[in-house]
Amino acid sequence: MTKLDKPNVTLFHCINSIDEKLTKSYIHKRNINVKLISLPCSSLVKDVYLLRAFEAGADAVAVLVCPENQCRHLQGSIRARKRVERTKKILEEIGLDQERLSVINVSITDQLAVSKILQEIVAGLSDLGPIRVAA
Amino acid sequence: MIVGEQKPVREIIDTIIRYKKLLILGCGTCVKTCFVGGEDEVAALASALRLALKQEDRKIEIEEQTVERQCENEFIQEAANAVARNEAVLSLACGAGVQALAKRFGDTPVLPGVNTTFIGIQQKPGLFTEECQGCGNCVLAVFGGICPITRCSKKLLNGPCGGSQKGRCEINPETECAWQLIIDRLTLLGQHKNLRAYIPPKNWQPSISGGPRKYIREDHII
Repeated sequence: MTKLDKPNVTLFHCINSIDEKLTKSYIHKRNINVKLISLPCSSLVKDVYLLRAFEAGADAVAVLVCPENQCRHLQGSIRARKRVERTKKILEEIGLDQERLSVINVSITDQLAVSKILQEIVAGLSDLGPIRVAA
Repeated sequence: MIVGEQKPVREIIDTIIRYKKLLILGCGTCVKTCFVGGEDEVAALASALRLALKQEDRKIEIEEQTVERQCENEFIQEAANAVARNEAVLSLACGAGVQALAKRFGDTPVLPGVNTTFIGIQQKPGLFTEECQGCGNCVLAVFGGICPITRCSKKLLNGPCGGSQKGRCEINPETECAWQLIIDRLTLLGQHKNLRAYIPPKNWQPSISGGPRKYIREDHII
């Protein structure tokens, strides 16, 4: 399997779930290409956005959502989770590993959350490798 | 509205595999409402197909467009240039839309991306239920606005049957007993005497069993 030297990760996140400034400073120090996409609420994520992130070269995509009982829009996190689950089925249909896409509850008070999430994603990608494209 | 479901992506790939330039054409009316054929679904399917075919090293150019209504020539016309630029059209409309396209663009293959399922309504976001079978002779006035032909599993016109249990159908307990609904509604409307009337066997001639149907409005035909 081809090793990923510098994985491309796209993170969609609710603006209420992470401290973007802190996250950017952390990302800066890591050997990962991270694209951060802020959403007013994670429920605005759609299958087409997630698929296009993969088309744009992401090796992994994650949607960071508020804890379900802390969503300012009440059901935003639940909606986002359902949309991710649907998109995972599409990934399975087209032969991409579902593990490349995840939805993760994050509390803005947990300042180390994004760091841990990225570590886990990178660890997962070391098993999955880059997206397979026929030679 | 007409309710449909998108075909599995793998089945769609099998039908488009011979084409290098494909137009995915959505329909902005019924199938958009049931999240199958609007702009968003066209974009998501195009993306999924590009990703799938890229992995198989198959090159394809996909153009995306959605017209207001695929079953009417005036709206289809808007897609004429895009159709001309492509080798085939993948339609995300109901069967009527697919056939209207095939008729309008006779020399271009038109492929269905949707399985048309029923005429229904949206009960709540994400839940669509069948309400009408287009039998050609509406009897809803007698049954309090609830169609036993569509919603009773046995299509009973003189119900209920003995299998109605706690308002549920014995064929599928997830289905509400149409006859329980009819009785409740007629009672609410003060029309329960309708229940005493014998309904004679239905004339199915106006339904599809008489072959493809036509509706003619002479005053609109020149």
